[in-house]
Amino acid sequence: MPLIRGKGGASGETSGSQQAALDSPDADNRWTAARALAGQADAVPALAVALAREPIPRVREAMMTALIRIGNAASIEVLLPYLRSQDAGVRAAAIEALQALPDAIAPFMTPLLNDGDSDVRLLATELARNMGGSEATRLLCELIDHEHHPNVCAAAIDVLTEVGTPDALPTLERCAVRFAATPFLPFAVAVAMSRISGEES
Amino acid sequence: MDDSKGGSSFAVHISPEQVQRFCEFLYRRTGMSFAESKRYFIDRRLEDRITATGSSSFQEYFSLLRTDADQEIEHLINSFTVNETYFYREEHQLRCMTTSLLDAIVRQKKLGATLRIWSIPCSTGEEPYSIALWLMENWPQVDSYNIEIVGSDIDTRALKAATEGIYGDRALMRLSRDIVGRYFGPVTGGNYQIDEGLRNSIEFTRANLIDTKDMTQYRDFDLIFCRNVLIYFDDASRRLAAENLYDCLRPGGYICLGHSESMSRISPLFRVSRFPDAIVYQRPEADHG
Repeated sequence: MPLIRGKGGASGETSGSQQAALDSPDADNRWTAARALAGQADAVPALAVALAREPIPRVREAMMTALIRIGNAASIEVLLPYLRSQDAGVRAAAIEALQALPDAIAPFMTPLLNDGDSDVRLLATELARNMGGSEATRLLCELIDHEHHPNVCAAAIDVLTEVGTPDALPTLERCAVRFAATPFLPFAVAVAMSRISGEES
Repeated sequence: MDDSKGGSSFAVHISPEQVQRFCEFLYRRTGMSFAESKRYFIDRRLEDRITATGSSSFQEYFSLLRTDADQEIEHLINSFTVNETYFYREEHQLRCMTTSLLDAIVRQKKLGATLRIWSIPCSTGEEPYSIALWLMENWPQVDSYNIEIVGSDIDTRALKAATEGIYGDRALMRLSRDIVGRYFGPVTGGNYQIDEGLRNSIEFTRANLIDTKDMTQYRDFDLIFCRNVLIYFDDASRRLAAENLYDCLRPGGYICLGHSESMSRISPLFRVSRFPDAIVYQRPEADHG
């Protein structure tokens, strides 16, 4: 039986014409352009502009995937502002996209974890989940040691429960003491410490 | 793949807390979930992998696993899954195809229209041949449409074996004697070869799910079986594969994943469709959202 060859075929279009297609009024054209620009570093500025005004979630998804495939600092900088979006779906999409780039996000982590907005700090803890255990532990412990918002600490502890190394144990102990009046935090700390140490709490 | 780094065997103590930690990671990363009653099964496989990687402790192994050093996630998944493929595997999805999916698909088609089904990855051919056999045995409308079945894999050796269509008893264990008798003929070595008509009715091609250019040749499928491969990919590759699969499907087409896989955890592009026999994913019909 014959295999039907797609009408798409190998695209002979240039990055420039694909970038122009990001402006198309047709969502399918914008989707196709975003998919074609995946991995093309020179397309970051055009993708940034297009992503900011893109109303269709499916096309936004493809634009974010294109930025992930590029995966450089410039594409991270395009994605970061979406952590502040008022739309929970957009924030979640940004987190997922940034989580897929654990190496590229590393230089941005300290500023994110010191952001003035506790919601941003809370979301940023999740970005450490795909990072190496030592680096994630260092970053999250620095956060926990000076963090005053219990929900941010709880989010960081949740990530440490999975990725933390034994270096996190002293910080966790201090956290439990500091937040003794917030019962869910000492409980979360106890669970994290038992998982990290491998010993029953 | 070098599985022999550890060499000697030694007892590795794994505490319940460490198993819990491991299970949570495994679920988040692959979707595989194990009940407490499977503790022995988990311990054994974890110990095997700790030994095989030469790790001296759970902690050391877990760090290595999380960074996917030496493709350890692939080794781990292989140790936790049934790697052999056989005819009529995950039969409930084949049943779903003929009791629900095809009826929904052909509602939009004229009699005699082309219906395209894709098995990717198809490995050595058991899945696409199973689809063909199941259709002939279980779908009354099988002769009313022009059915095209394509089997694709990245491994050209597997594709060569698929084209030859020769299988041993284990691959055929789920087929009735009657079906084997009607569709297979004995060949040397106690094996069976699927009949020539079926071999010629399936197109086998090489394809890489995460190569967007490669995937542009595959379009207009009504139904895709893409089982037990996305669990091996990292987050970025899964997203890309999902977008590629989206483009390969017709609007309204369906995709069947492996039992531990969930498209909802990978991409918002597809709708969850629940049928009596299986949960599958659908490319929305008129999609501008």
